[in-house]
Amino acid sequence: MHARDTGALLLTELEVKRAISALAPPGWLRLHKAARAFSRNAHFDAEDLLQEAFERALDGSRQCSRTLDIVHFLVGVMRSIASDWRKARRRRPEMSLVSPTGTLQEVVIKVRDERPAADEWLASTQEAICLRQTILDLFADDDVARRMLEGIMDGIAGEELRSLTQLSQTQFESKRRLIRRRIDKAFPQERKP
Amino acid sequence: MTRNKDSNQQAPIDRLIEALVEDILATSDADLVNEAQADDDNGATVARRAFERASRTIALRRLAGNRRSARGRRVVGANIRALDPKTARGWLEEYMASHPDAARKVSGERSPRDRLSDEDVYGMLEALQKRGVLKERAADQGSDRR
Repeated sequence: MHARDTGALLLTELEVKRAISALAPPGWLRLHKAARAFSRNAHFDAEDLLQEAFERALDGSRQCSRTLDIVHFLVGVMRSIASDWRKARRRRPEMSLVSPTGTLQEVVIKVRDERPAADEWLASTQEAICLRQTILDLFADDDVARRMLEGIMDGIAGEELRSLTQLSQTQFESKRRLIRRRIDKAFPQERKP
Repeated sequence: MTRNKDSNQQAPIDRLIEALVEDILATSDADLVNEAQADDDNGATVARRAFERASRTIALRRLAGNRRSARGRRVVGANIRALDPKTARGWLEEYMASHPDAARKVSGERSPRDRLSDEDVYGMLEALQKRGVLKERAADQGSDRR
């Protein structure tokens, strides 16, 4: 496919801006809820994630196909940024300026080892394990929801997951919504699942 | 136990987040609005605010980029008379070569190469400038052109 043909399949930056500006309240709500989901259990805010996704869409560094819904496109951008930020945080060496005498000439830059220290690694692993258990405990009264959650967290999806729960499609969607709503209420702030 | 297991422990949480997002995308508009009202959720306002901030940031970034690219360039008309005659004539010839129709309107039937005085050349460049058709040129262009 020629470059010109590819270009015709993508929204221009102006069209992206217009499409976002024209979003109705449910579209904005959907974006914010997705941003909150991605920023839970992470070290960044939903609003920062949203802003970064908007910036990349508006400056053309991420391009939207004409056939793609703008909200789905932005959710995809947020997913990618959130993943990058998590990886970057794990890799980023922390630097600190140390000046024992307070003079500029004697400032020493200490670069921290990039690898997580054993205690940090243990802490983050423990945190993830605890989080998983805390979430499951939210549904101690609902075996089906619990089974569904365990399936999701074990990587089961789609029809296989629905079969596991033995629910109809409608019941399955209702149960998934109940799970999302209960987690939302249990963890209203960011940095939680 | 290896450290690879660190990311493995995070994987179930990531899968759950994906499932939650999938549900958010599948929820109807009406249900989302009802949820927001029930939860007193101002997420729509927060998202719109983030968009407005992003729009401003991009506009400022573009403005800064334009200023940077304008550095080292000059608008021809601002100091047209400061050009040496040879450079001015070269610019005019170049313009006429690339815009024969527009050039004809300014020069009439005359050929700039043979008949125009320096004053004519300056006058025509100024006329083109007034019409807004004379493009910016890099500062280092011109003096050594011919």
